[in-house]
Amino acid sequence: MSVLSAESRREFEIHRYPVLIYALVPIAALVLQAWLPRVMGRFAWFDLPLVVTVFFALSRRNPIQGSILGGILGIAEDALTGHPIGINGIAKTLVGYLAASVGILVNVENHAIRLVMTFVLSLVGSMTYFFVVRFLLGMTIDTNWLMELYKALGNSLIALVLFPLLDRTKIRD
Amino acid sequence: MESFVVRYRNLLVLLALLVAQILGIAMQVRRSANGQVGSDSGDGRSVRLLRYWANSLVSPPERALHSSGSGVSGLWENYVDLRHVRQQNADLQKTVDRLRLEQAALLEDAKQGQRLQALLHFQEKYIYKTVAAQTIGTSGTDQSRVFYIDKGKNDGIDRDMAVITPDGIVGKIRDVFPHTAQVLAINDQSSGAGVILETTRIRGILRGNAAGQPQVEDVIRDQRIMPGETVLTAGGDEIFPRGMPVGVVQSVANDPERDGFVDVIVKPAAHLDQLDEVLVVTSTQPRFPPDQQRDMAASEASKGSETEQQKASDGMAEKLPGLIVPNVPTDQQPLNDTSNPTPVSKPPVAIHPDRFTPGNATTPTTEDAPATDGSGPRKKPAPKTPASNPNATPPASPQGENR
Repeated sequence: MSVLSAESRREFEIHRYPVLIYALVPIAALVLQAWLPRVMGRFAWFDLPLVVTVFFALSRRNPIQGSILGGILGIAEDALTGHPIGINGIAKTLVGYLAASVGILVNVENHAIRLVMTFVLSLVGSMTYFFVVRFLLGMTIDTNWLMELYKALGNSLIALVLFPLLDRTKIRD
Repeated sequence: MESFVVRYRNLLVLLALLVAQILGIAMQVRRSANGQVGSDSGDGRSVRLLRYWANSLVSPPERALHSSGSGVSGLWENYVDLRHVRQQNADLQKTVDRLRLEQAALLEDAKQGQRLQALLHFQEKYIYKTVAAQTIGTSGTDQSRVFYIDKGKNDGIDRDMAVITPDGIVGKIRDVFPHTAQVLAINDQSSGAGVILETTRIRGILRGNAAGQPQVEDVIRDQRIMPGETVLTAGGDEIFPRGMPVGVVQSVANDPERDGFVDVIVKPAAHLDQLDEVLVVTSTQPRFPPDQQRDMAASEASKGSETEQQKASDGMAEKLPGLIVPNVPTDQQPLNDTSNPTPVSKPPVAIHPDRFTPGNATTPTTEDAPATDGSGPRKKPAPKTPASNPNATPPASPQGENR
């Protein structure tokens, strides 16, 4: 049995997608994230830009690309709020970096691993968000960790459905 | 060195991205540092550009989704789900008739109130023009209570315009784009509205708290503030017209940062979580509508006739004789004029006069006078003898006796 190094395995298992997927999926995530809470009200327990960040970071296995994608999506999310731009950007930059870094080490084809990773990275993103808001900006914030757990669970369930769908669009060599 | 950069390039890129964003946040906070972090005191040009780009990216699909959703729901509501409509129509007609009667009564009261306000030179802003808009999206996060409407600068929307519903106020326009606008809800932490408690007349500023509930801040503890009291706009913020419903007091909580102050939690009158249609107040005017102005003119006319009446009564008073005329000797005063057909009547003579009878007080003796040195015993005053002469000299003062 041949043993592959992390770098060679990354090159071997790297996934590529059509440019349209790279462009449309993040935009669709942003649009739905802004539109669905209006329909679902307070039951909108998900963060679609985070799920998309995790997916592409895991698939590409490139921490730089994961960080940049997470940063762009986070900044776009911030631009739609009334808060300073960069809060979500920092959180999702970190999430993208961690997802890609961990993606090098584990088999990301496994659905259970994807589920757990999305769950954990959602919580990491929430913690980073609260850290930035509370300690860097000094804003008071209502920290409802039960809601964050629900949101992480919602992200995981969405990832369970969305990742296989997006996998179908990857370019086969 | 090169190997270091190559080896740690991922980490270095991550650090560069994080540091750049932290610096960006610091610059934004510095720009809006007036006590409220992330307030709407004005974004920088680059930040505004980013917001514009994001909005341009997200709003068109949102509008399309909203339109298609409205189309499907409209199809269902207008063609499929039409059962019991006839009965509902009859019920609604009855309600309309009843409301018309109520409205007629309320209109009379309102006109009277406005006339009184006009007489007091009270400047009130009235809603003159509104633009109906539909909500098409949210900020996408629980922490920022802003939402987007499908009307923008091309529809006459501008910053700081009030956004209301028939139930109560909703928020104000924070940012305007060509076809959409961002509304800052009253339960956001960076919002602010001047409000007044209807019964206790306590004023304060309404802001959102960390939990997303609107609350009146910086209120001195007052036992009179009770749950259920209505909260209205105070009109001093130059955004919301005065007297609009805001909500009712839900609870009163001690201010954790300052003793003696409380935060009044308000249950908003508008359903902030389920907003579909809103009204943007695009124009207010400090004048009354034409019909009210006609009423005011009539009121002014009646005020003028009152002035004339007052002038006439003053003239009549000048012609009538007074009781005391200055620069005239006492014996010639109109009061002593015997030719007066209705002379001043004198009091009747008392049958049993005492010391309280006018002109019949007994002169106190030295025994009755209080001792000046305070050493002598005070004697019981002698019983007064009835005076036969009602025109006796008035009593001298005890001090005059002792002198």
